[in-house]
Amino acid sequence: MPDFTLTPTSPLKGFDKQFGDIRLREVTDQAILSLATPLGGETALKAAVGSAWGLEMPAPGRSSRADDGKVHLLGLGADQIFILKPHDHLQPDAPVREALNGAGYATDQSDVWAMLEITGPGLRRALERICPLDLHPDAFPVGAVARTMMEHMGAIILRSGEDAFILLAASSSAGSFLHAVETSLNWTAP
Amino acid sequence: MTQSNRIDGGLIDRDRALSFRFNGKTMTGHPGDTLASALLANGQRLVGRSFKYHRPRGIFSCGSEEPNALVQLRTGAAQEPNTRATVVELYDQLSATSQNHRGPLAFDFMGVNDLLSPFLSAGFYYKTFMWPKAFWEKIYEPVIRNSAGLGKLSMKGDVDRYDHGFLHCDVLVIGAGPAGLSAALAAGRSGARVILADEDFRMGGRLLAETLEVDGMPGVDWAAEALAELSSMDNVRLMTRTTVYGAFDHGVYGALERMTDHLPTSGNKPRQVLWRVYSKRAVLCAGATERSIAFGNNDRPGVMLAGAVRAYANRYGVAPGKRVTVMTNNDDGWRTATDLLAKGVKVAALIDTRTGITRTLDGVRVETGSGLIDTKGHNGISWATLQSGIKIETDCLAVAGGWSPNVHLTCHQRGRPTWSEDIAAFVPGSDLPPGMRVAGSANGTMTMGACLTEGRDVANETIRDLGFTASRKAAAKAEDEASDITAFWHMGGSKARAWVDLQNDVTTKDIKQSHTEGFRSVEHLKRYTTLGMATDQGKTANVLGLAILAEASGKTIPETGTTIFRPPYTPVPLGAFAGRSRGQDFKPFRLTPSHDWAKSNGATFIETGMWLRAQWFARPGEKGWRDSVDREVTMTRNSVGICDVTTLGKIDIQGRDAAAFLNKIYCNGFAKLALGKVRYGLMLREDGLAYDDGTTARMSENHFVMTTTTANAVTVFRNMEFARQCLWPDMDVHLISTTDGWAQFAVAGPNARKLLQNVVDEGHDISNEAFPFMACGEITICGGIPARLFRISFSGELAYEIAVPARYGNALMGVLMEAGKEFDATPYGTEALGVMRIEKGHAAGNELNGQTTAAMLGMGRMVSKAKDSIGSKLSERPGLNEEGDLRLVGLRPVDRSVLLNAGAHFITKGDTPSMETDQGWMTSVAYSPSLGHSVGLGFVKSGTDRMGEVIRAYDPLRGKDTDVEIVSAHFIDPEGERLRA
Repeated sequence: MPDFTLTPTSPLKGFDKQFGDIRLREVTDQAILSLATPLGGETALKAAVGSAWGLEMPAPGRSSRADDGKVHLLGLGADQIFILKPHDHLQPDAPVREALNGAGYATDQSDVWAMLEITGPGLRRALERICPLDLHPDAFPVGAVARTMMEHMGAIILRSGEDAFILLAASSSAGSFLHAVETSLNWTAP
Repeated sequence: MTQSNRIDGGLIDRDRALSFRFNGKTMTGHPGDTLASALLANGQRLVGRSFKYHRPRGIFSCGSEEPNALVQLRTGAAQEPNTRATVVELYDQLSATSQNHRGPLAFDFMGVNDLLSPFLSAGFYYKTFMWPKAFWEKIYEPVIRNSAGLGKLSMKGDVDRYDHGFLHCDVLVIGAGPAGLSAALAAGRSGARVILADEDFRMGGRLLAETLEVDGMPGVDWAAEALAELSSMDNVRLMTRTTVYGAFDHGVYGALERMTDHLPTSGNKPRQVLWRVYSKRAVLCAGATERSIAFGNNDRPGVMLAGAVRAYANRYGVAPGKRVTVMTNNDDGWRTATDLLAKGVKVAALIDTRTGITRTLDGVRVETGSGLIDTKGHNGISWATLQSGIKIETDCLAVAGGWSPNVHLTCHQRGRPTWSEDIAAFVPGSDLPPGMRVAGSANGTMTMGACLTEGRDVANETIRDLGFTASRKAAAKAEDEASDITAFWHMGGSKARAWVDLQNDVTTKDIKQSHTEGFRSVEHLKRYTTLGMATDQGKTANVLGLAILAEASGKTIPETGTTIFRPPYTPVPLGAFAGRSRGQDFKPFRLTPSHDWAKSNGATFIETGMWLRAQWFARPGEKGWRDSVDREVTMTRNSVGICDVTTLGKIDIQGRDAAAFLNKIYCNGFAKLALGKVRYGLMLREDGLAYDDGTTARMSENHFVMTTTTANAVTVFRNMEFARQCLWPDMDVHLISTTDGWAQFAVAGPNARKLLQNVVDEGHDISNEAFPFMACGEITICGGIPARLFRISFSGELAYEIAVPARYGNALMGVLMEAGKEFDATPYGTEALGVMRIEKGHAAGNELNGQTTAAMLGMGRMVSKAKDSIGSKLSERPGLNEEGDLRLVGLRPVDRSVLLNAGAHFITKGDTPSMETDQGWMTSVAYSPSLGHSVGLGFVKSGTDRMGEVIRAYDPLRGKDTDVEIVSAHFIDPEGERLRA
């Protein structure tokens, strides 16, 4: 039998570009998992998440992050969170299932999404062209997360720092999404 | 041309000259000018021709209300018709031309219409073009269309770019005049997030046009100080050149920001941005619009609004005339005279229609209790005639008919303004859009001091609503200038036409005639005469028109009422509404994981929804799509083919009640699906009709993976989420889409297993015994890469679908081809996929079209009676279960060389084709390379009982009538031996 090798490619092929002071890059080293709370299993899952990563279950719209920054929990719904953590396992859901020991339902979402990080001062002026949400720090502080639509595409936006956001968009339409973000940056560049 | 009418002062930068062209003539102006002020400075009074009568027209106002001075701006594809010269910011090398004339502007051949005016009054078209009937389409309409309209489109694609955007604030202040600045200062000082938007390129509103003092300094200076303070606040966003054009539900306002219209080029940036502003509260400080008085020939170039004449002198350093006459019915008109005198401009006369006025002006003839009845002058006013017959030589007539508050946005949610006798104008009613307050002259507060105070007070009230603490700082102080008015609408005493609506050439006579002819409602008046229509929406004309209608009908103005204002406040280009959604960017594209591989291997792509899918892979020598598709089918059926089927929806289902949930979603049983097995499932709609089909695999006790059709992937997920949350919230079941997460390939054909055995890691037995038809499992391939394998078949061949994390998808396509080399594997596209499913008799979108039942599809017995599932009860409705119902069958042409057409209707031999004799229709057809002739699927009444019958496939649309034989839908391998091999 001949040896075949499968070489992975990311949806945006590692895009990384500077637009003035703003940097837009694809994040390729993160695993994304969804975690659903079993009906009536809130307490057990809270305990399991606490003992697995020392983190609180985030309320919808909020996120919690481990001190070492490695595990990031995003509250996306009443019974759903997303987990961002380093992609260090061929089946990222396996170790999570193991760690939670049946207290939650994990599904690998790593390849469902393309992940972009946008950093730099004044980036809100670019995002306000496509993001309908209020990203003012009073309304959307560091750690806030939301599902929304940008240019007809479903997206998840997380404020990861004062001047930093993580954007998740469907991997199949990642090219169109990147084009939308790039266009906004180009059109609002000074 | 020199700037013959330029005078001292004004907010223009005289150190810089801007060169521009009007009708090819080069002129100069300065930064700070509008096109209108620059034209006036150059002594250009005549700027266009009127809509109907082609009368010479000049600049009438100094703002967005302008009815007359519409020009074509720019040239080539960027040419924009009907641009108001009064709001066009002058830039270097600007080029404008006048509109609506044949021949030169000063001698318009269409001016003959003016001589025909007795025939062209209100209702002319309705009365004249009635007969002969046949003339309408061929003669009348083309002629009318040719002469209608003002400017001309370039008939080329718009070369500019447009964008959209979203803004959020606590308080949106609309308008940056005295009240708006005062409101923004108060709101800003409280710490609230404020957006201050103004349509002008310089904020200040009337502060820039008046000589009144604020806080002991010229109003202009106070405005500059206020703006400096506002710009220093992080919580305030100042938006100049931004028109708030509509008030929508939930505090949402539409705003158009003109980003580069004032620049010679846009530098590849959007020309305009259409903003959606989410506000918690809004303060409308839109000011007021001056209106005219109707009298004979009051439309000549040089006849202008008095406040505009004053603004040109004070703000732009331009005297619109050298001998100005003022006609007024209020105190405000007097200020035009005094301001002009202060600037050294000669005022020929001041005529006040009010009686009992004792005020005088040095060196100016003052007439009171009187008015003008006529004007004269070729292409511009040169004489005006008083009621008494006395003629006054004048080149500019400043008319002050009173100010109408700009209540437009208060009416966008059906609010009705109320009449205020004090200022003889409509003011905002009590039913404002939720969250909106009004301040300043938009609210009928007509003096500077009161506007400043009201702006602050209303803003403070607004921010207290939102829980902010209002700043104690007092409003700026200004005196309240005299503003008395006695309503006066039009002068009789002359046979000359008196204009009401300059843009639509509506005169007092038209309004009276319309009333006489029975168009008495104000809304009917508008439609019959066109009063208040077109680009200016009657901003200077509406109230005057209502007053004249009221007079004609013997009613009061409030009894007469007003037409409703709708968005947009001023015109918004369609390009701005479209934003980026043009051409390639009209919608997003979804690409399959193997897109790159397909692209470099000869794929032709087709859009299926948002997906781009490979339709076929052409090889050298193939002359058309059929060559490629036939080959792909043949190679697959003879050996093995590979197709990217990632677009099928994938839903990950987990939970203790997942199996029970699926049992309710699908009409067939799922509760007992064994681990490691896949089952075909059919979903019904609530009304019992077939909805979607697919397969679901049981990966573990509480974990299922569902596939849906590509087309319904989103709606199926949404409906299941609804069922989970709303129908059965007591079930433990959780859904998440993984469509994009897994690259999935169909590997089909007699050599499919052998091909896969080349990539599957040791230890995973995929032999027929270990992994039979409808098995599924998690495996690894290519040295440890996780994969899911499903033994399912859409083609009818021995087939698998193999899924890997999407990141490996492009590579896997190449690897499968490499591993299939020894079998001469072929990639195949959606066409071959379609041919094979038709050959096999599998239903797809054409058959699951929302009108068909499980029984029609031959799957009636799948609808389980042993359980309740969505749609199962209603599928038993008598209407869906009648004798002679349609059934899915196969059809083949009696003459095998004929190609079938989908859409043909079936007629029993011997019947005359009609709705009554219709026996069903052909849903899908394909040329079957396996059989060597065309095959079709279709619904035929009692079709399954009519095997072997020859009927007609009747297709009058394409002129075809083909004899076809009813056969089994399963053209290939009806016993299913291949897929179980």
